[in-house]
Amino acid sequence: MASNPDHIEAPREVLSLLSSDESVRWVRSTDIRLDGNYGVAWLMATEYRLIAFSPNNEGRNEVVEFPFEEIESVEIESLYGSAALRVRTAEFGATIALFSKTLAFSFAEAPAELERLIREARPEATGRIALGHIERGVYRQRRCESCNAVIPRYLGVCPACLESSKLLGRFMSYSKPYWSLALASLVILLIGTFIGLTPPLLMRILIDDVLDPVGQNSGSTLVNLPYVETVTPTYALGTLVILLLLINISRNALGALRSYLLSRLGEQITYDLRSEVYQHLHRLSLNFYNDRETGRIMASVTQDVGRLQDFLSDGLQETIRNILTIIIIISILTYLDIKLALCVLLPTPIIVFTTLRFGTYLHKLYRPLYRRWAGISALLADVVPGVRVVKAFAQEDREVNRFETRSLDLLKGELSVAKTRSLFAPLMTFLTSIGTLLIWWIGGNKVINGLLTLGDFVAFTGYMWQFYGPVESLCHLNHRFQRAATSAERVFEVLDSQPDVVDPPNAPTMPKIQGSVEFRDVSFSYEEGKNALKNLNFTVEPGEMIGLAGHSGAGKSTIINLICRFYEIDDGSIYIDDIDTRSVSLKSLREQIGVVLQDPFLFNGTVAENIAYGNPEATQDAIIAAAKAANAHEFIINLPDSYDSTVGERAVRLSGGERQRLSIARAILRNPRILILDEATSSMDTETEAKIQEALARLVKGRTTFAIAHRLSTLRNADRLFIIEKGQLYEQGTHDDLVAQNGIYAKLVRMQMEMSRIRAV
Amino acid sequence: MKVDDMHILSSSETHFYLDEFAELVISINDQNPVHGVHLTDCFPISAEGQYIAVRNDEVELGIINDIETFDPESAAVLNAQLSRSYFRPRVVRVFNITEKFHVPRWEVETDRGKRTFEIRSSRRDMRVLGGGRILIRDADGNLFEIVNYFELDALSRSLVETQI
Repeated sequence: MASNPDHIEAPREVLSLLSSDESVRWVRSTDIRLDGNYGVAWLMATEYRLIAFSPNNEGRNEVVEFPFEEIESVEIESLYGSAALRVRTAEFGATIALFSKTLAFSFAEAPAELERLIREARPEATGRIALGHIERGVYRQRRCESCNAVIPRYLGVCPACLESSKLLGRFMSYSKPYWSLALASLVILLIGTFIGLTPPLLMRILIDDVLDPVGQNSGSTLVNLPYVETVTPTYALGTLVILLLLINISRNALGALRSYLLSRLGEQITYDLRSEVYQHLHRLSLNFYNDRETGRIMASVTQDVGRLQDFLSDGLQETIRNILTIIIIISILTYLDIKLALCVLLPTPIIVFTTLRFGTYLHKLYRPLYRRWAGISALLADVVPGVRVVKAFAQEDREVNRFETRSLDLLKGELSVAKTRSLFAPLMTFLTSIGTLLIWWIGGNKVINGLLTLGDFVAFTGYMWQFYGPVESLCHLNHRFQRAATSAERVFEVLDSQPDVVDPPNAPTMPKIQGSVEFRDVSFSYEEGKNALKNLNFTVEPGEMIGLAGHSGAGKSTIINLICRFYEIDDGSIYIDDIDTRSVSLKSLREQIGVVLQDPFLFNGTVAENIAYGNPEATQDAIIAAAKAANAHEFIINLPDSYDSTVGERAVRLSGGERQRLSIARAILRNPRILILDEATSSMDTETEAKIQEALARLVKGRTTFAIAHRLSTLRNADRLFIIEKGQLYEQGTHDDLVAQNGIYAKLVRMQMEMSRIRAV
Repeated sequence: MKVDDMHILSSSETHFYLDEFAELVISINDQNPVHGVHLTDCFPISAEGQYIAVRNDEVELGIINDIETFDPESAAVLNAQLSRSYFRPRVVRVFNITEKFHVPRWEVETDRGKRTFEIRSSRRDMRVLGGGRILIRDADGNLFEIVNYFELDALSRSLVETQI
C-alpha cells in the first residue's frame, strides 16, 4: 500500500513479460487478484500495450494483454465493496484488475493516465477512452495527507502528525498582548505556592522550639524562637498562631487573585481566538464548507476554543503549581533528612505506574460505555423529532422498549465500571500509606534515638501528604496536553485554511450592472479530473431571462455558482458588462446579485428582519412593498405579530410556499441587477405556485435572470432556454425552437407531459 | 401487493450468460437478449441473494428470487457476478487487534485471504446485528462481515468482544 503509486517497482516475473523494445511507462499493484481473493496482482502499461498479471490459487499466473491500438475504453466500475478496471476493444472486453477501496485513491486517475498513454501511441484516437471515476474527496477526510494514517472520526485530524508542543506554543503566543497579566499571574502563582507550603515548617518550629522545650522544662522558662529572640512560650505560641493566620489569609487571598487573573487571561485569549476563527470562517470559500461536516466546523468555534481556555486557565496553572510543589517539597525534605526523603520518594514510581495503568484500563472500560451513551443519544435524536410518525403508527410501546433495552445495557455497563472505579481511590490511599508506614517506622526510630527532632518528624509527615497529590495529577498531564493539542490543531486548521476565491489587491468595485453576462470558454471542476463545466460559451443580453434545464448533475447549479463567484474557474473567463468578474471586489459583485433558492433559509428573527436581510437599513414602507410584490403580505398580516412575528427553528412554522415568498420579498427588496432562481417553485401546490409565479414575474422584470427548474412548465416565461448536458451547452433557443429541434429538451418535455397525465389520473 | 407486481423472473424462461465483453446478458424465452445488465441485491444484508434486481441502466427488467432454480450455466454466471459485485469478505479468524490513537487495527483471516484493516470509529463503522453477526466498514470503505462471532475460536471471540 504505497502512498505514491509512481514509485512502485513490479517484480521480476511481471517485468519478464516485457520484450526488449518496451519499457514500463505506468504500473500499479492491486490488492485483490482476478480470482476474487486477496493478493497482489499487477497492471502495467508500456509504450504500446497494457498488461494485467494476476497469480491464482493453483500457482498459475493469469496474464491478459491489450495492444493500445485496439483499446476502445478503459473504465473504472465502482462495486459494493471493491472496484474493477475494465477494458474494451471492438471485439471483446474484460476486467483486468480488481482492487479494494483502499486503493481507490491510487487508481482514481488510472483511466485518464492510460488514456494519455494510448493517445501518445495513437494520436489519431478519437472519442472518450477514459470512463468512470472515483471520488477523491471522501478519501481526503479518512486518511492523513502527509502520513497516510487513518484519521479517527472523533478527532478529524491526524493524531500521529500532531506536534503538541508546537501547537500549544502557537496557542500560547496569543497571550502576548496580555503579557503583563500573564506575568502577574505567574508571580502570584509562585508566591502563593511558596506560602502554601510553609505550615508544616511552622509546625516544626512550634514543636521543636516552643512545645518541646516547654514540655521538658515543665512550662516555666523562656524559649528561643528562631529569627526572634528569647521570649516567653505564650508569646512564641501567639506569634506562630498569628503567622499561621496571616499565611492562611494571604494564601487564600492570593489564590483568589490568581484564579481571577488566570481566568481573565484565558477568557481574553479565547475571546480573541473565537472572534478570529469566526471572522476567518466567513472569509473562507464554499469549498471549505463542502469538505467538512457542519458539526465539526461549529465545534471548532465553541468546543475546541472552550477546551483551549480550560487548558490555559486550569490545566496550565495546575501543572506549573504541581511541578513547583514537588520541587519545593523534595528540596525541603532533602534538607531536613535525606534518608527519610528517599523513603517518601520510594512509593512514587509505584504510584505513577499504577495511576497510568489504571487510567488506561479505566479508559478501556469506559469506551463501550461511551458507545452505549451515544447509542441512547442517537435514539433520542432520532425518535423525538419523529414523534409524529411514532404516534401515527402507534409504535410508542416499541420505542419505549427499544429505549429500555439500551438503557439497561448502559446500566449494566455503568455498574461494572463502578466496581473497578471504586477500587481505585482505596488502592491509591493504600499505596501512599506505604510511605507513611516507612516514615513512621524509620523516622520514629530516629526520633527515639535522638537523630531527628519531633518537629522534623511531624513536618515530614505533613509534606508527604502534600506530595503524592501533585504526582498523581501530573500523571494525567499527557492526556490533558494531548486533548488541548487536538483542539488547537482543529482551531488552527480553520485559521490556516486559505479562501480559494479572493479579491485581487486593491480591487475596484463593480459599477452598477447593466446585466449582460458572458461565459467565454469556461471550464470548471469541483474535483480534479472531473469536469463540471467544459469550455462553456454563451452570451446573455441585459434583462433577458434564461431558463437552465437538463438532467440533475448536468452543471446547471455550477453555472449559477460561478456567476456568484462562489468558486474560482479553472479556465476561461466570465464577463458581466464586459468586466471580468475576477477583477472586481467580491462584495460589490455579490451585492448586485439576488438569489432565490429552492429551500429558502430563514434566520431566527422576525419576518421583517428576514425580508430585510440583504439591506438591514430598509424602511418599513419598503419592506411592506416588497412583501406585497412577493404576494407575501397577505399571509404575513395573518401571523400573530404580523411583520414582527419571529420565524425560525423555535418560532412560527411557515409552509414551504410561504418561506419561498419571503425569500422572493428578500430578493425584491435588494433590487439586484442579476437574479438567480434556483428551483424556486418546486414542490408547491398549484395555487401557491401560481402566486409565486406571479411574484416572480414581477421580480424578473428588467433584470437579467437565470432560472433553474426541473418542472419545465415553470420556464415558459424564459426568453431563451439553455439545455445543459454533461457540463456543456447542448441546445439553446425558445421553447418552440427546442421542441421543433426534437432533442434533449423535447424528450424532457414529453416525459413531463406523460408524468402530469399520470398524476391527473 | 401481490407477488406478481414484483415481476419475478421465471427461472425456466430466463437465461443469463456473459457476452464477449464479459458483460451480463439476459434473455427471456431466447428472444431479444439485453446486454450489459447489472445485478442489485435488494437486501444485501438481511436477505442476501433472495431478491436480486436485474437492471439495464435505470430500467428494472425483473427480480430473481432463487438463483439455484435457474439452469446450471445461468446460476453459475449469476453467482460469479454477484460475488464479483458484492465483495464483502467473511472474517473467519481474528489474529490480533491493536490500537493506536484509538484507531483499532484488525489482523484477520477471511474467506478471501488474510487482511489487515483499520476502523475510524467503532461506534459508527461497526454494526452489531442479532445472533452475533457483525458488519464492519473499514477506514477506506471496505466491507467485512463476521457471520457469528460466538462461533469463532476463543481468542478471536475475546478480541472481537473488546470492540463491541
